[in-house]
Amino acid sequence: MFKVRKDEPKYAFIPDVETPEKNRYGKAIKLVDESDPRAGQSLNINGDESVGDNPNRYKQHGFHFTADNCIGCHACEAACSEKNDLPAHISFRSVGYVEGGSYPAYKRMNISMACNHCDDPVCLKGCPTRAYTKYAEYGAVLQDPDTCFGCGYCTWVCPYNAPQLDPIKGQVSKCNMCVDRLEVGLKPACSSACLGGALEFGLIETIPENREQAKTTIPGFPDTSITHPNIRFQQVKSLPREMTRPDTMPIKYQRDEQGEGEYKTKVREQRRPRRWSLRKLLTSHENAHIAFTLCAQTVIGAFLLLLLAPMMGASSIANIHSDGTLLPLLGSLFILISVGMFKLNMHLGKPHRFYRGFNNLKHSPVSREIAGVSAFFAGFAGYCLFSLFDAGWATVLANMAAALALLGGLLGSYYMYKLYRIPARPYWNHWQTGTSFAGTSLSLGALVIGLVSVMVQGFTASATLIQLLALIALAGVLLEAVGLICHARDLKQKGGEGEASHLEQSFDYGNSYWLRNTLLLLNSIILGAIAVAGIELISASILLLSMLTASIIGRALFYVLVIPTTLPGAFFWRNKGFQEHARESGLAEMEQSGVLPRADYHDLHLARAIKEVKEDLGMGSSKSK
Amino acid sequence: MLFGRNQKKPITLPEKKVEEWVYTTCGYCSTGCAIEVGVDSEGRGITARGVADADVNRGKLCIKGIFEYELFNTPGRGTAPLMRERRFDDFKEASWDDALDKTAAEFKRIQEKYGPDSVAIVSTGQLITEEFYTLGKLARGCIGTNNYDGNTTLCMASAVSGYKRSFGSDGPPGCYDDFSHTDCLIAFGSNLPEQHPVIYWRMREAREKRNFPLIVVDPRVTMLAQFADIHLAITPGTDVVLLNALAHVILAEGLEDRAYIETSTSGFAEFEALVAQYDPVTAAKICGIDEDTIRNVARLYAKANQAMSIWTMGINQSTHGSDGVVGINSLNLITGNIGKPGGTSLSITGQCNAMGTREWSSCSGLPGYRVLENPEHRQEVADFWGIDPEFFPKQRGMAQTDIFPAIETGQIKALWLVATNPMTSMPNTARIRKTLERLEFMVVQDAYADVESNEYAHVYLPAGLWAEKEGVMTNTERRVNLIKNVCPPPGEAKADLWIFNQLAKRFDNGKLINFPESASDVFDEMRELSKGRFLDISGMSHEKIEQSRGLQWPMGETAEEDSARLYSDGKFNHADGKAKLIPLPYIENNECPDDDYPFWLNSGRVVEHFHTRTRTGKVGNQNKFSPTPYMEMNPDAARELGIEHMSYARLTSRRGDAVVLVQLTQRVPYNMVFVPFHFHECVNRVSLGLLDPHSRQPAFKQSAVRIESVEQQAAAAVTNRAARSF
Repeated sequence: MFKVRKDEPKYAFIPDVETPEKNRYGKAIKLVDESDPRAGQSLNINGDESVGDNPNRYKQHGFHFTADNCIGCHACEAACSEKNDLPAHISFRSVGYVEGGSYPAYKRMNISMACNHCDDPVCLKGCPTRAYTKYAEYGAVLQDPDTCFGCGYCTWVCPYNAPQLDPIKGQVSKCNMCVDRLEVGLKPACSSACLGGALEFGLIETIPENREQAKTTIPGFPDTSITHPNIRFQQVKSLPREMTRPDTMPIKYQRDEQGEGEYKTKVREQRRPRRWSLRKLLTSHENAHIAFTLCAQTVIGAFLLLLLAPMMGASSIANIHSDGTLLPLLGSLFILISVGMFKLNMHLGKPHRFYRGFNNLKHSPVSREIAGVSAFFAGFAGYCLFSLFDAGWATVLANMAAALALLGGLLGSYYMYKLYRIPARPYWNHWQTGTSFAGTSLSLGALVIGLVSVMVQGFTASATLIQLLALIALAGVLLEAVGLICHARDLKQKGGEGEASHLEQSFDYGNSYWLRNTLLLLNSIILGAIAVAGIELISASILLLSMLTASIIGRALFYVLVIPTTLPGAFFWRNKGFQEHARESGLAEMEQSGVLPRADYHDLHLARAIKEVKEDLGMGSSKSK
Repeated sequence: MLFGRNQKKPITLPEKKVEEWVYTTCGYCSTGCAIEVGVDSEGRGITARGVADADVNRGKLCIKGIFEYELFNTPGRGTAPLMRERRFDDFKEASWDDALDKTAAEFKRIQEKYGPDSVAIVSTGQLITEEFYTLGKLARGCIGTNNYDGNTTLCMASAVSGYKRSFGSDGPPGCYDDFSHTDCLIAFGSNLPEQHPVIYWRMREAREKRNFPLIVVDPRVTMLAQFADIHLAITPGTDVVLLNALAHVILAEGLEDRAYIETSTSGFAEFEALVAQYDPVTAAKICGIDEDTIRNVARLYAKANQAMSIWTMGINQSTHGSDGVVGINSLNLITGNIGKPGGTSLSITGQCNAMGTREWSSCSGLPGYRVLENPEHRQEVADFWGIDPEFFPKQRGMAQTDIFPAIETGQIKALWLVATNPMTSMPNTARIRKTLERLEFMVVQDAYADVESNEYAHVYLPAGLWAEKEGVMTNTERRVNLIKNVCPPPGEAKADLWIFNQLAKRFDNGKLINFPESASDVFDEMRELSKGRFLDISGMSHEKIEQSRGLQWPMGETAEEDSARLYSDGKFNHADGKAKLIPLPYIENNECPDDDYPFWLNSGRVVEHFHTRTRTGKVGNQNKFSPTPYMEMNPDAARELGIEHMSYARLTSRRGDAVVLVQLTQRVPYNMVFVPFHFHECVNRVSLGLLDPHSRQPAFKQSAVRIESVEQQAAAAVTNRAARSF
């Protein structure tokens, strides 16, 4: 048990006060009864099997932040990082701020934020490895870094930037509510360290001593309907009409004068210089996702076309099965999907723990995606294998494998789309993600079939096939284009972080964005022409180049443009603009800058990996049995 | 578990296996927080917490205190003495004997050739009091130079000077407990949340329990200014005008404490005559605070049963720094607010042991608040040390800020820097470089070998820091508190006390004077010397100090209790036993903005850093909050100059230029920029630092600059990066 000093100051203890039955979202504050089998168990912290004597052990706890009082002194962050032994580039709690008004009627409001141990923890639901648990004790949402394989999906879904992906360790960790302190009745380290009278901690829906308000939001705090976070605020001092962020996120918060005076997220500016930003675009942290999604969608699309189109009477596609194109095509597709899956796996913080990806089929779209794509891969590989044999039993097995691939492909594709529908990432959270993915399957799927066919059969022999494929690809391109047009319209209309993404898309990456859009138009024209008039070498070459370029830029834009609904940063810490600057200028080479020299460190440390796998298999001393 | 998994997983949290908690006092600012360092079975400091029953911090620590134990493992530490013939040669590791022999020989050679005062010693506010006392003994008693001062000239000299002028002695009269009794608080140029977060916490807690008006005088909208009931956004450098006007209103409206003025002050008639000239209408035009507000504040302050003033560098670092302090003292004298609970004139000191150096280092005189000018004092100390009083100079020598110009013009040929870094901290860096180049011999004694001033050193002596040593320090409220040893200094590095003792052996008088090896023995000497003095500590010992979590002087041999406040009896230390009310005519001598240099340049501290960042720049969890310098600039002014947020701009003054990252904020007015002073090759490349005539403290916060946008941003980033060598 955590040792309480004899003279521990009173402010460090959690007040034992009455709570209402239910929180404002209608959820019981008492999470389990004492009679429940889940009660009375040890939290087993660092092998300690005793049970804490906190009288409110099974009630939901949370932070109470008086934004009026925070002085931005970093004591909470420091106490947290000290207790949790965090390196400079990681922090479970961060203080950012918003400011407004004009001198001397200037107001700065600091916001100290960590995990909100939500009623509905999207991190827990999203995590494919089941590294997260919401405990009956204190309602703490805890994450086990030993279970995590470092995919970082929880960092995507959390609206508060609570889970921290450490690229060096290749795993996520986050605020643990200092449950060791709670077990003995002490507030978490951050709250006990607060010097401004701002950060309190206690039973949720209770108002700390000398405070008078417990509201759910303040300017800069994301939409609480996503997760029902267990944090309450006091913010009674009046603020200027407009609050801006010190970081480079093009966002500000504006009081809604027509509404109830709440602050709405707005885009900070309307215009910026139009740039290409190709280097940022193509060297982003998410390159593995670009490769994986494009490859997987292409291969699944091509395979479905190959399998389903003949059933719909497309004889030119049916011919592929018999005219000698099949094996080269399957070979190409096999290479493509392997590359995609390899890239995806190797982007994990711990690639050797890939098998944990299926652990959360119950909740996680990522698990389901991985399961679907894996089933597709298995079925597809089986289909490729059995296609090599010309025998009845092989045909039966090939058909069974194809059925598995079909099912896996459809499910995998659906959850690949579904996993990007993240409320905290408005740029992705639009049906356009689906049309883009499906469009890619159609257009690149058709492209790859056509390409192999032309290479095997030549232009003349595959003329009819090519014309059909051109129509299919055209449908894919148009599907994507329609989605994009509606996406841009909706982003502008809905405002907030989505509109900010649109601003960056139109200006910071404006030239690249318009190049992709132009190429989509060009692709439609060429595909239309081919569908009508057939193909020859020049148009084929242009089309190939143009379609690949459009797809890669398009997908890169998809990842680089997303602006999450996270909290404001400070001028240096948690400022994406400064992080980029520190990397470019070399400041990041100093460890104590808090910025890592590279955004990703996905080097596989073989010895460590082997050791960890051994532990996982129970062959070594392990904490994560 | 509620959901997520069916089988409960054991929880692993980082665990600090503390074997023992060691009592120390923080070595950064002057708040004087008591820290317990957790030590593991191998004797390493692995964690820290505020001492729960220490009255100062009551279990709390700020970001610097929380991570202070990490300093034991910071990079850049000196682990062996270094020597070189010429400053452009490479340093070579040397033995302590060689390094100290060389230092003593060079000091002697130079003193013989150019006179005893041609060797200068510039010390600090960062050492332990026993070390200060020993350094004083060495400097005054053995080396015998009169050019010996501390870097406290850069931070508290004006407070010292002001206290002496008003009350006849140095020594802040109040304490933190005054927050719990006051009915009105004015903070002059003091940004507690950033500079002294734990004092801020004490103040805020007191104010939450019992609300009182908070008035903040600051040209910048600091967090404290934002939380104030009244924020006086003053024109830089005009505090004296505001203070005169406040006194004017108080006297004009008969709000003063007549009885107190009559019994406890002198010079009232002259004072009254002068403040009569500063009516609010006239004053408003100079200090930028409207007349109604001046009257309102004056009435509020005078009518409060007890009112207190605190101040920090906003007052001290000004050409009217000493006057500003006197003005604040006078405000409290005429309202009878000295030495009573909640009524005081409390300077919020800068360095952890600025007080210790003022009391015991002999920098500006002799130990125990004795002065060189007093023959009795010279005799007492000479007798105590066992040397000839004629060895002492009869008048104080140069202040730190006069030592550097004397090097520049050749009167001083050798310099010994102890735990101070003028290459970053002094105004006008280019001039400091030129100055240090002129030295025949320079010694740098510091915990860090990468301290920028080492660039010009011939000998480098590696020292221990903070709890690698043992002894006492005095905080803002005169509380003497104890640092116990946690671990030894790294490698060959030694405690400063050891270094002073070894060097003393190499001088003739060093064989006459006793130089005790242990800090508690040194403390015993100081205790003897303090008997009957204003700063009497004869009732204290290391053990008693630890037990009480610090004791406030004076505490005489027979005293049962220490003293929360000074001057409670209305008796002061001037010969007549009265405090002086001193008229303060305002002379406009700042480098004000003009057409060529249209912006005020203001500088100051940020919470995560201390001084020139030699320590805090190495601790990632602090440094990351400002890993590189920045400039707060008003967005309206920036727009006109085409300067963008998060881009580099060029600052130019009549001294030089600097490149700095711009942070646009309405926290500063249209015609002012603010740059933190911690960073090498930044704000002090352009600052002027006119000297206060009384305290010789530089006016860091008032000079004029021009700002230009920088076209070559990448080159600016390279330049900036080059100055961040650790």
